[in-house]
Parts: sequence; structure tokens; C-alpha cells
Amino acid sequence: MFVPAEKVSMTLGERLSAAVGVRGDRSVEAARNTGAAEGTRDARRSGPPGVRIRDLSVVYRTAAGELPAVSGIDLDLPPGTITGVVGESGSGKSTLALSLLNAVQPPGRIRSGSVEIDGLGDVTRLRGENLRKARGRHIGYVFQAAQNSLNPLKTVGKQLLDLGRSHEIRDLRGLVRDAKDLLGRMGMDGARVLDSHQHELSGGMRQRVGIMFALVLNAHLVVLDEPTTALDMITQATILRIVREVHEERGLTTFIITHDLGVVAEIADRLAIMYGGRVVEQGPTTEVLGAPRHPYTQGLIRAIPRLVGDLGEARALPGRPPTLGTVPSRGCVFRERCDLRMDVCETEEPPAVPYGEWIVACHAVAARDAETREEKE
Amino acid sequence: MITGQHITKTFRQRGSVLAGREVKALRGVDFAIPKGGAASFIGESGCGKTTLGRIIAGLESHDSGEIIIDGTPMSSLRPRQREPYFRRIQLIHQDPYSALNPTRTVHQTLDAPLSLRAGQTGRSRSWVDGRARELLELVGLDPGYVLPRYPHQLSGGMRQRVVIARALTVDPEMLVADEAVSMIDVSLRLGILALLKDLRESLGVSVLFITHDVATARYIGDDGELYVIYRGQVVERGHVETIISDPVHPYTQSLLSAIPVLHGLERPGEQRVTPAGALDESRHDAGCLFARRCPFSTGRCESEQPVLGHGGDTPQEHACFHPTPRDVVAMPIGRS
Ligand SMILES: Nc1ncnc2c1ncn2[C@@H]1O[C@H](COP(=O)(O)OP(=O)(O)OP(=O)(O)O)[C@@H](O)[C@H]1O
Ligand SMILES: Nc1ncnc2c1ncn2[C@@H]1O[C@H](COP(=O)(O)OP(=O)(O)O)[C@@H](O)[C@H]1O
Ligand code: SF4
Ligand code: SF4
Ligand SMILES: [Mg+2]
Ligand SMILES: [Mg+2]
Repeated sequence: MFVPAEKVSMTLGERLSAAVGVRGDRSVEAARNTGAAEGTRDARRSGPPGVRIRDLSVVYRTAAGELPAVSGIDLDLPPGTITGVVGESGSGKSTLALSLLNAVQPPGRIRSGSVEIDGLGDVTRLRGENLRKARGRHIGYVFQAAQNSLNPLKTVGKQLLDLGRSHEIRDLRGLVRDAKDLLGRMGMDGARVLDSHQHELSGGMRQRVGIMFALVLNAHLVVLDEPTTALDMITQATILRIVREVHEERGLTTFIITHDLGVVAEIADRLAIMYGGRVVEQGPTTEVLGAPRHPYTQGLIRAIPRLVGDLGEARALPGRPPTLGTVPSRGCVFRERCDLRMDVCETEEPPAVPYGEWIVACHAVAARDAETREEKE
Repeated sequence: MITGQHITKTFRQRGSVLAGREVKALRGVDFAIPKGGAASFIGESGCGKTTLGRIIAGLESHDSGEIIIDGTPMSSLRPRQREPYFRRIQLIHQDPYSALNPTRTVHQTLDAPLSLRAGQTGRSRSWVDGRARELLELVGLDPGYVLPRYPHQLSGGMRQRVVIARALTVDPEMLVADEAVSMIDVSLRLGILALLKDLRESLGVSVLFITHDVATARYIGDDGELYVIYRGQVVERGHVETIISDPVHPYTQSLLSAIPVLHGLERPGEQRVTPAGALDESRHDAGCLFARRCPFSTGRCESEQPVLGHGGDTPQEHACFHPTPRDVVAMPIGRS
């Protein structure tokens, strides 16, 4: 009998993904990393914290030696703002997010740089119980693929209570009430969700449960890694609206990571574009989207399928994003896909140059800027 | 030509919380996809798109209704006789990571189905090798580079191209692409969409494109038909550009309103529609399935079921008692 290739390996694929889905008990880790006011549920804090990332480099050990996934990043999260990071797969977004919690796991390590969080100091220097407490007190976190990070054996409610206990919360009833309230706002029946096991929830429901876990303990710095990836547009819009609302109500500093420029466009005040472990452009969201300067940002925006306009206007970027092993160690990381590349791009890494609030790392942009300034003089 | 007439499918849920819940995944869906044509099914997750795609690809049974392939009703055939028909409809699914066997090189992945085919048609070994290279070139890959490589050595976009090349080994008449670009890097998505469009033009393959991102549906061909599906029912259907520019069903308008606005580059539509609450597939409704979430529902909507048609003389078909065009789509700044 002839069996079409697709149909055979699909079942293989399904088995594989099923195996990955139930692997290990990441929920407990996720729960621990979620923020909390220690011992008490009220958030008597001195406003949202600011975050200053300086010259941060993170490497992973591979067969070819230690290779950088994040290279010399400078980035500020101003208190009370939503900052969005956009990048393609492998650009180092999740690694950057984990660094904010000093949670990069071996074979990875933070090689250099600092992450200063108001009220916490440099988290890259914290260790052990201090680190655990610091994370708990300040930082709520949703891992990428929150969809698969729940414990398959326990109901969501049971996991919520575990979370509360691990943070010495006395008013567990209050905790459950807050959780139900958050779930309700995200369009779900809170009581039913708390009674459910992971496999009884759809992907979108699990993702919302992950967000509830990040918010329920009242952390004032919230890190969301791909919170809406793989969700449909309506569910995504709902979640983004809630993130924005809670952000404003509670006065949070929010860091959101996504491969989807639209997500950041919709909710972030500031935007940073990552490529090959670098932030190549950052600035106020609407300004950057309205007139992107870095050739990569321009290409990325041009590559978005649009609802209106000529079909020919949108174009895929030629080439492919680099991986750990193919990121060039010298010169500009984007040069292979860049139309504007010059000789200097082969040898020298473009420095991040501020133009007001807007920072761009590109030789061509710097040269053009110098020209226009000369003309003015 | 592949047509479906009044396809229905009901699932009964398992598990302690949802046990016994009935989900009407498809409630009498009609469709027609001409040879070389393009159709897109859009809707939020859980509305039945994948179920319909799998039924069309012969991977799932349906409860009632008829699938007709090139004039032959599938119900008139025994399962074994249906096989050659369904073989020519190939499913490309969302995840190019799990679709490929990680222990096989691209060469092995393509070789197996091609060798089978060569055996059946009395072709030679060299045909198999030549065909593998030809197909890889067709999907925009460099055969010399990818043939010896394993899936993990390729980018997501390259992997999805390999998946498409493998589907092409059986000379399919139709590709069913279920969220085929949602896991692909943004900068590479349009490349895959353009490939699907090219395959339509160069090979005459028809494409059934399943997505929740309406914008992508335009890129497999602006001659395509759009089917907007809600809770197993087609609620709006017509030419893709017509529906995007003048949607009349509040559900379609909700989908279009939910697409993120690129602030700074676009201004939001002035009448964006936000549906109330979330999708509940197992709810029983006497009237319009969308009434509970629809901001425009009236008494009639609660008690009577709208059927698909051209009510109100709209160019597209819709299932709404109050079809009203609304300005929901974001417009590029500087364009009206
Ligand atoms: N445990 C690890 N061991 C080795 N390399 C790793 C490890 N984790 C990540 N990397 C590599 O580091 C780079 C950055 O990975 P990271 O997960 O931060 O990317 P990302 O931008 O979050 O990507 P995605 O969009 O796919 O989530 C990638 O090249 C990745 O392959
Ligand atoms: N094998 C199954 N068993 C039970 N319910 C199912 C099964 N497959 C799909 N469903 C249900 O049918 C509905 C439609 O699902 P699906 O076709 O996957 O939607 P979509 O692809 O539009 O997201 C959903 O409510 C889903 O939970
Ligand atoms: S530095 Fe050079 S290669 Fe890099 S983006 Fe700018 S012009 Fe292009
Ligand atoms: S029939 Fe009524 S409830 Fe249904 S979509 Fe139309 S206006 Fe809304
Ligand atoms: Mg990531
Ligand atoms: Mg689906």
C-alpha cells in the first residue's frame, strides 16, 4: 500500500511533540520565578522599578567553544513603561529576558555586563537564596511556550496554592480570588480553569494561565516572553489589552518579547530591534515604525503581510537570520542581508549611536547623519 | 475541482472537566475549490478550520455531507478506492519542526516517497535523484546544500520548504496549508506565501490556506476565495479583496479589527469591532451563533438563525441579519 509521506511522519511528529509537551516539571520553576511581595499580598512599593542593562554578553558553550547569544547589549527600561523587543528566532530575545532574572542556565552563562534593577541592584551578582527572593519580590515572568509549562499532573488551582506557599503568602484565599479575577478578565471561567488540568485547556487558555501566574503576585517588573505566540488574532488582542490595562492600573514596568512587530506596535511605548545578539535599533515605538532607520528594521517592516496596498510592496528579506554558529565575529551582523553594506561593515562592528532618544547601530545611518549635519553647517 | 456539500462533524470531549461536552466542529459547510484555485479558511482557533482541512485531506472522517473530487462523490467509493483521490491532496501543517523526521537527511526524506513512486511507474533510480533536485529547486532551495543535511541544520523557512517539496513528490492536485507560515520567521514568511502562489501558477496546484491571519491570505493570490468560519459555520464568503475591503459580518469585522495596528505607520479603522467574551464551542444557541458576542445583535438574532446568502445585495455571501460595512481595517498613514 502506498502511504503518502506527509501522512506517515505527521504521526511521528505528533508523537514527538507530545513527548516534549509532558517533559519535566517546568511549572514549579516557572512558579518560583514569578514575582511576589514576600509574606504579604499588598504591594506597598515605591513605584515601578527602572532597569538598566549595560554591555551585557551571554554565551552558550557549544562544540565550537563558547559562542555569544547576546553581545554587548545596552538597553534601558524606563520605570512605568512597556518596552518591546522584536527579533527573529535565534536573535537572543529569550536569553536577554532570562538575564533579567539572572536565570540563564548552563551551558549558558552571563559572561560580562550588568543588569541594574531599582531596589535590587545588579541582579547578575545575586546568588542562591538572595536571588530567589529577589526574583520573587520583584519580577513576574512568563516563559516562552507557557503553553507547555504547566504541571500536567496537578490542577491549575493546586499549582496556584503551591506558588502562594512557596512565597509564604498567608492569605491564600485572597490569592485564589485574585487569580479568578484575572482569569475572568481574560475571558475565562476562573473557577473552571482552576479546576482543570493542563490537557483540558486549549493553547490559548494555557497561555492566559501563564500570564495570570506572572501577575497574580503583584510583581512590579513583569517580563513576558512571547505571550501571544501561536494564539489567534482575537485572543491575542484580548491578552494585549489586558496586559496594557494591568500595566497601567498597577503601575508596572513591563518588558515584552516577541517575533511579531505588530504585537509591540500595539502595546509598547519603546521598541528595541534585535538581530544576531545585538540591539540594532531602539527608540519610541511610533517613531521607529513610522520612519525606521536601520536597514534590518526597514526590511522587517516591509516583510509584514498587509491588509491594504499593493501586494508587491511587501517583500521577504533575502537570506536568513544567523544562528549561534553563523553570527560573524567581526563587522556588522546584518551585512549578509544588507543592501547598503560598505567595506567598513565587513571589519568593524557599527557602534550604537544615539540620535536623541533613538539609538541606531549602523555605519550607513551614521554616515548619512554626518553628511546631513555637514550640509546644514 | 474539489467540492464539499454540507459537511458536518461533531466531537464529544473527554477529560474530567469537559467530559460529555459536545462540540459541533462543522455545521454543514459547503465549499468549492477549482483546479489551480486558492481558497482560505479563516477564523479564531477552535472554529473548525483544521477539522475541515483534515477532512478534505482524507485524514478525518465526517458525520454527514459529501466530498466530491473531480466529479466523483467519495461516499460512492470503498475506503481503498478513495485512497488515490486523497493521495493527491497533501497536508502541510503548521510546525515544520515536527513534520520532518529528525533522524533523516533531506535526501532520505525525499528519496523514500520518490522511490515508491518510481517503483509504481517503472522509472529509474536516476529519475529519483533528478526529481529530488528538481523539487528542491522548485521550492527555492539549493539541492547541493540541503540534500545532505538534517532538519535541525536548517532554518524554519528552509524546513517548511522541504516539507512542501516532500508534499510535491506525489504530484498533488491540492496543498492544504494549515497555519503553514505562523511558525516561520517574519522576514521569511512572504517567501513561503510567494512559493505557494508560484506553485499554483507553475504546476496548477490548488491551495487551501488555513489561517487566523487574514492578511497572509492575500498573498497566495488575490483571485482567491475567503471563507470566514465561526463555530463550524461559514459566516462570510467571497473574493478575498472584497471581504477585506468591505466586510459586512460583525465576526469578520472582529477578526480584521484584532490585527495589530502598526502605530506610526498606520491609523486604526474608526469602527473597530471587539466581540464580547470568548469563544464557547459547546454552547447551544437557538439564533445566530455569534449573537452572544455580537455588539449589534437584535431580538431577531437571538431566536432565528441567519443563513449564508446575498441578503442586502452584498457582492459576497454572509450569514447576518444586519449586514453593514464598517471601517475596521487599519490604513497606511498618508493614504485614505
Ligand atoms: N541551551 C543552549 N545551548 C546552546 N545554544 C543555545 C541554548 N539556548 C539558546 N541557544 C542559542 O542562543 C541563540 C539565542 O537563543 P534565544 O533562545 O535567546 O533566541 P530567541 O531570540 O529567544 O529565539 P526564538 O524566537 O526562537 O525564541 C540561538 O542561536 C540559540 O540556538
Ligand atoms: N479529536 C478531537 N476530539 C475532540 N474535539 C476535537 C477534536 N478535534 C477538534 N476538536 C474540537 O473541534 C473544534 C474545532 O477544532 P479545530 O478544527 O482544531 O479548530 P481550528 O483549526 O479552527 O482551531 C474545537 O472545539 C476542538 O476542540
Ligand atoms: S552597518 Fe553596514 S551592513 Fe550593517 S546594517 Fe548598516 S550598512 Fe548594513
Ligand atoms: S445576525 Fe445578528 S447577532 Fe448575528 S452577526 Fe448579524 S447582527 Fe450579529
Ligand atoms: Mg525565545
Ligand atoms: Mg487549527
